[in-house]
Amino acid sequence: MVKEIIVEPVTRLEGHGGLRIVIGDDGKVKDAQFNITSTRFFEKFCEGRYCEHVPRITPRICGICPIPHHLAPTKAVEDAWGVEIPPAAYKLRQLLMNAKQYSSHMLHFYALAAPDFLLGPFADPALRNVVHVINKMPDVGAMALKMMDFGQKLCAEIGGKSVHPVSAIVGGMKKPMDEAARDKFLKMVPEQVDFMKKTVDIALKVVNDYWDVVANVGVVPTYYLGMTKNGVHDIYDGDLRIVTPDGKKIDHDVHNYLDVIGEHIPDHSYATHTYYKPAGYPDGIYRANTLAMTNCADKMATPLADEALKAMKAKIGDVSHHTFAYHWARIIEGVEAIELIAQYLEDPDIVNPDCKTLDVEPREGSGVGVVEAPRGILLYNIWSDDQGICKKLNLLVATNHNIAGIEKTLMHVAKQVFEDKALEGLNLPDPWIK
Amino acid sequence: MAVKVAFMQSSDCWGCHQSLLNAHLGLLNILPALDIVYWPAVVDFKHDSLKARPDGDILVGFVEGSMRTNADIENAKLMRAKCQLIIAFGSCACYGNVHGLANQWDIQEAINRKFIEAESISNENPKEPKEHMPGFASKIVPLDEIIKVDVFMAGCPPKPEAIFSAVEFLLGQKPQPMSETAFCNDCSLNNESCLLEKGTLCFGPITSTGCTLKCTDNGNPCVGCLGPAKSVSSRVGKLAQMTENFGQLNSGDKKNLYEFLTLFLNVPLMAGFDLAGDILQQVKKTGETQISLANLPNETGNITTNIMAFLKNHRDFTEISTVCDTCPREIGSKSQMTKVKRDYEGLPNLEDCLIEQGYLCAGPITRAGCGGLCLKVNAPCSGCYGQTAWNVDQIERYVDVVKKGYNVALSKEELLIQVKDKLGFAEKFTLATNKNYR
Repeated sequence: MVKEIIVEPVTRLEGHGGLRIVIGDDGKVKDAQFNITSTRFFEKFCEGRYCEHVPRITPRICGICPIPHHLAPTKAVEDAWGVEIPPAAYKLRQLLMNAKQYSSHMLHFYALAAPDFLLGPFADPALRNVVHVINKMPDVGAMALKMMDFGQKLCAEIGGKSVHPVSAIVGGMKKPMDEAARDKFLKMVPEQVDFMKKTVDIALKVVNDYWDVVANVGVVPTYYLGMTKNGVHDIYDGDLRIVTPDGKKIDHDVHNYLDVIGEHIPDHSYATHTYYKPAGYPDGIYRANTLAMTNCADKMATPLADEALKAMKAKIGDVSHHTFAYHWARIIEGVEAIELIAQYLEDPDIVNPDCKTLDVEPREGSGVGVVEAPRGILLYNIWSDDQGICKKLNLLVATNHNIAGIEKTLMHVAKQVFEDKALEGLNLPDPWIK
Repeated sequence: MAVKVAFMQSSDCWGCHQSLLNAHLGLLNILPALDIVYWPAVVDFKHDSLKARPDGDILVGFVEGSMRTNADIENAKLMRAKCQLIIAFGSCACYGNVHGLANQWDIQEAINRKFIEAESISNENPKEPKEHMPGFASKIVPLDEIIKVDVFMAGCPPKPEAIFSAVEFLLGQKPQPMSETAFCNDCSLNNESCLLEKGTLCFGPITSTGCTLKCTDNGNPCVGCLGPAKSVSSRVGKLAQMTENFGQLNSGDKKNLYEFLTLFLNVPLMAGFDLAGDILQQVKKTGETQISLANLPNETGNITTNIMAFLKNHRDFTEISTVCDTCPREIGSKSQMTKVKRDYEGLPNLEDCLIEQGYLCAGPITRAGCGGLCLKVNAPCSGCYGQTAWNVDQIERYVDVVKKGYNVALSKEELLIQVKDKLGFAEKFTLATNKNYR
């Protein structure tokens, strides 16, 4: 008898999706689908808008990562119109991006992912959530909340709002940081660095406890898509970098993205399947997000994070296909984020009022803006008319870059679970929370 | 006993959840009072478990997101059946949000753009995904055209304070009296220059003391920040008299009333005062939660009852509370709009009204509730809390309002010509409510 296993909805993620695994009479996995069941057509309804208003609309694509969705279209319009921004604006945007990176990564680690590890995969689903973690480990819970709070408050300070920021404008930023606010956040940094170090310790313990899982479950070779600035990890500025399954790194100017990224429209998901175009579909399926970024990076931008990157690469290789190492890579990016936050808060340009180019003129043309959102590369291609009205918009959003990779991994893991019964022999630790 | 709540996410961005989570440490106080029976973003209960619950089993259902897919519509109906009280949570559920802008086109054109025409698509014959997919509504409509909504909580996203005060309110946790004596006893204006005696609405007689007295020291009335006191001052009669006859209130008094409502009574910053009246009714009807007015002095109870009755019977009261009412910038400033500037032009100062500096700001036609967050970082209001009047031509109304109340040197006709993207400016968050685009 054919058996269909449906998980509806997938919980503890941002967005709408279900899983569907079909197992045949012979016990073999016949199909594994990741069904994304919602889309809202931003590509269409941004047509006819003022180009500079597009970054006021598109943050609504993602409430977790609205800052990348505010800055990527701003960069795209600047690219289309040939606008340069002042150094102070560049630094404010970097600070804003890293504040978001920090809070989002901590939200992901503690609220979305940690319940699986702290309670173990066989815990009561009614309890396997962050609320229970907070109840049972109040110190860790309070620390996690303070980390997210710091990042979100810093986003709100610079962006006006943490969810759906408004302060970036074509030509720079609407306002520098207030000195008083800068001082306030600078004072909070040492405690956050301390929290981050504790988080690294927790993460390393989780990796060690679950080493059998990390090393053996969902190890799936794919391509990877990320961004670096001359090989250095960067989430605001740089070139696209593709890493091949055998570890070769290839850089591409963002303007050539149509030669690099193909979009396959599947029958069973509103989120499309992106892939590395020269390798074709499905062979060229890549993954994005944290592990893709560390696979791409020759080094991190800051000392502590770079040390952590070297330690991870020594253990799992320069290019890793270990799906569970995504959590590890996320923590390394978190370390870099807090180090960069400290660095930018100390930079006098952060309070420099010269943060906006005053003479900005629209012109006809196409522009591309790319940033690394917390879930992967985010690419906006906007077409402006000579009055600065948006004629057309093409979007390749962060989560989207992972859909095909997740489905490929799902198939792999489904075979491990249902065909090989691999889970039965796994060495699992005693849960921290019983 | 913990109150059963459910969160349903429809087509949207998760931002309302993030806003709720932004309360961070505040969550520790509120979570123990909630029995979360469905919240895919945070807990692992699946759709089937929601379906299996008896009708009306859940006290409060938060429905977030716009009604874009057929699944969104089915889930909204499911929530209505399972929950006693439905909150349209955020501007997507209230008004359709930016997604409603798609109503300008036939849905097929949007589908074609995304699944067939996008430049990066590489299939030979791409087509709309149909396998296990829900399909799309031809037009987005607000949630209350699909199911009955009890409470509207607008905002993109609603502020964490607003969400929290809503939850606390539903749980009956406020108001609780704090100080023994009322604010008047410590007020610097109490003797010679009492504001109430001069006819200004001031809530000193019933409000707890213990603040910095900054408002009255600066000549402004008390708006009730600290909530009710355990006793009232001798001036309470004057206040009661004023609340019995609201006909004579000026707009400044109404603004005070608005702040009083949110700060003193802790009535959530819903999408309008009228709904604050509704929520009182609803909460009473469910019987499981009640507002603890019992501990308050009789006079305080009477005054708040007067106010709630007034608000409930004046649905157009919302008209006066716009983002401009809470904006820190000066209206009637030294600046004057002589042409409509685009947002990328120049850089405005932080003091003068943005409209008077030439920029398009939706503040005058947008509901209050946000506290003017965007204005503080020099960005114009884009209207995310929704409009203050409905079933009117929004851009016409906007132009009339700014011509009347703001320093604008352009004629109505010039203004209309210079606003090129009229829908994108004046109805960015609410086009789904506009029946001309169905």
